[in-house]
Amino acid sequence: MKALELVRLTADQSGATSTEADIRVPKRVVFERMRGIRQICRQLFGIPDYERYLAHAAAHHPGAPVLSRRDFCAQAIERKYGNSGPRCC
Amino acid sequence: MNKVASILLWPVIAIVGAFSFAALALGRGENVSAVWLVTAALCVYLIAYRFYSKFIAEKVLRLDDTRQTPAERHNDGMDYVPTNRWVLFGHHFAAIAGAGPLVGPVLAAQMGFLPGTLWILAGVVVAGAVQDFIVLFASVRRDGKSLGEMIKMELGPTAGSIALVGVLAIMIIILAVLSLIVVKALTGSPWGLFTIAATIPIALIMGVYMRFIRPGRVGEASVIGVALLMTALIYGRAVAGDPTWGPMFTLDGPQLAWALILYGAVASSLPVWLMLAPRDYLSTFLKIGTIVALAIGIYYVAPPLLMPATTRFIDGTGPVFSGALFPFLFITIACGSVSGFHALISSGTTPKMIEKETHMRLIGFGGMLMESFVAIMALTAACVLDPGIYFAMNSPSAAIGTTAANAAQVISSWGFTITPEMINQTAADIGENSILSRAGGAPTLAVGMAKILAQALGGKTMEAFWYHFAILFEALFILTAVDAGTRVGRFMIQDMLGHVYKPLGNTEFLPANFVGTGLCVALWGYFLYQGVIDPLGGINTLWQLFGVGNQMLAGIALLLCTSVLVKMKRERYVWVTLVPTAWLLITTLTAGVEKIFHSDPRIGFVALARKFSEAAAEGKLLAPAKSIEEMQRVAFNNYLDAVVCGFFVLLVLAMCVFAAKICLQALKQANPTTHEIPPLAPAQGVMA
Repeated sequence: MKALELVRLTADQSGATSTEADIRVPKRVVFERMRGIRQICRQLFGIPDYERYLAHAAAHHPGAPVLSRRDFCAQAIERKYGNSGPRCC
Repeated sequence: MNKVASILLWPVIAIVGAFSFAALALGRGENVSAVWLVTAALCVYLIAYRFYSKFIAEKVLRLDDTRQTPAERHNDGMDYVPTNRWVLFGHHFAAIAGAGPLVGPVLAAQMGFLPGTLWILAGVVVAGAVQDFIVLFASVRRDGKSLGEMIKMELGPTAGSIALVGVLAIMIIILAVLSLIVVKALTGSPWGLFTIAATIPIALIMGVYMRFIRPGRVGEASVIGVALLMTALIYGRAVAGDPTWGPMFTLDGPQLAWALILYGAVASSLPVWLMLAPRDYLSTFLKIGTIVALAIGIYYVAPPLLMPATTRFIDGTGPVFSGALFPFLFITIACGSVSGFHALISSGTTPKMIEKETHMRLIGFGGMLMESFVAIMALTAACVLDPGIYFAMNSPSAAIGTTAANAAQVISSWGFTITPEMINQTAADIGENSILSRAGGAPTLAVGMAKILAQALGGKTMEAFWYHFAILFEALFILTAVDAGTRVGRFMIQDMLGHVYKPLGNTEFLPANFVGTGLCVALWGYFLYQGVIDPLGGINTLWQLFGVGNQMLAGIALLLCTSVLVKMKRERYVWVTLVPTAWLLITTLTAGVEKIFHSDPRIGFVALARKFSEAAAEGKLLAPAKSIEEMQRVAFNNYLDAVVCGFFVLLVLAMCVFAAKICLQALKQANPTTHEIPPLAPAQGVMA
């Protein structure tokens, strides 16, 4: 995902010499869209979304240490199911 | 442009809806297509959503997007996350949809398709969706507080504590009745039992995979899990036919009950990542997938409704459950119309994820409409079956005997012509030895679904596969509910025990955990076992007990909503919650009192208990009990059920008093007295 961010940044800042931009833009759109679909599926089924957490951490607490994927997911599952409140009938 | 489209669109929806109802109402003497039923329901939902929920959102609640939601206030990227409203709609729907809307309508189908349909549609618009919406609203305005905490805040601490005991009691009954449904579906069904049993190792594999092999890759683990599950489903037939393995997976009712009790105790003690979480992911995929497939299937196949619009059993003599249309229809169909349990979900994780206040209209009101749609589809699936088959599957053996010939004769005498060959053929089609007295709704729904899905995909040869797929789908989320419910029950019991003896309340203290889990399992296990050996079918009693409890909880939630509206000084609109509250109180209190005191032993607990204990005292045996000891047990269990039912009745009456007192106080005040979080968050408040 970090790599993806970089691709996007360079694409944004490249000032777009026409040929380069033409090749890059569709690819970027496809990436973005796939990421969007994955994110929607995760949220829909309540699957822990590590990428979203990283993005949140980078935006709100830059420089602070972040959890590893393993720890994040373990904590997310523990919180969701540990004392989850009643289930519906 | 938009306005013109809207002016054109809504009359069209209204006309389509009216036309569908006309097709249902006028189709006397011939079979009506199920498509009309489903279309009529969809039109009601669209109109209710467009007009009534808009009225509630704008006039009654005055949703305000400038107010901070809990998700904005605490946004931590983990629990509190502002979530896209459509995604949250799906998430919330997956959380509220369980076995409830699938079972109740199937049982109610004994009165014909019309009474159930009308109550589901009227109930959801006037009561169910309103309750879910306003509880969600109240929770969001109170920083995501739970139902119990809100009752404590708005109605006082005593009311809060009483409500918590009530919630625990209802949960125990729900766990028992859900387990009973699984037992009824899997008794003597090796294919079904093998598939369900296979979900245990599959869940363990997924759990280990996403914990150690590829940490955090839940999506990958789920794909593997679904693939393994389908493999188990396909090979289940071979296992069932195998001379050594087949008998190993053929269990009777009491054996299955013990297996489930043991499962509940062990599963709820394991770490959540190992079993509960992976199983829940599997069940969510299956749930959403199956519901979508069923909706498409109904439109594609357009099966005729073979069940008449109304049957003679509206008089209360039905074999599936006893009691007349009023009040018993209204407690038999709970989820799908109005379900008190939703108040717990709407004040759980959903309010912590709301992005903007106006989104609550879609998520709270719309989510419940969707659940109601599931109930309509379950009703449809039961009503496309031949009524003879329906009654063969849902009547207790005390009524129809244990052989196809006997059952066919009895059911035909009720006016639903059926032959023994048809009964046996249906059993063979779905790959079971017998379909007789498989009460509980799940198997009936599975046969209906198999019929619809097989016509759409795979034909007759696939019917057995689809039947077991449907059983798997239902059993999977029931078992998840048993696991999660036992955990929650344990926490609640420990919390209560902690007031008596402090160490028992410590959830980190292993012996205390064992005591809590043991007590919880023993409580629901007792009711389950009682239901399994109940000669009159078990579901007959337990489902109605659950219905009374669940609707009482809805009554409590709506009393809270009413008090909230009055305290907000919106008493002009208080009818929005007062009308459904009154209706729920009337139906459930009547049903509760009748269940206890009715002089007909088929309805009243006390009458039945007395009948058995008096006969036992005279040394007479009443069928189907086989010994004096069994007679005494039936009597004791019915007295116990009467006590539980009486507890629910007293509980809701007490809440009425609390709410009335609070409302009268609030009416005298000139200004709002709710405990909402003020419009400006503290940080912004300082700036202003």
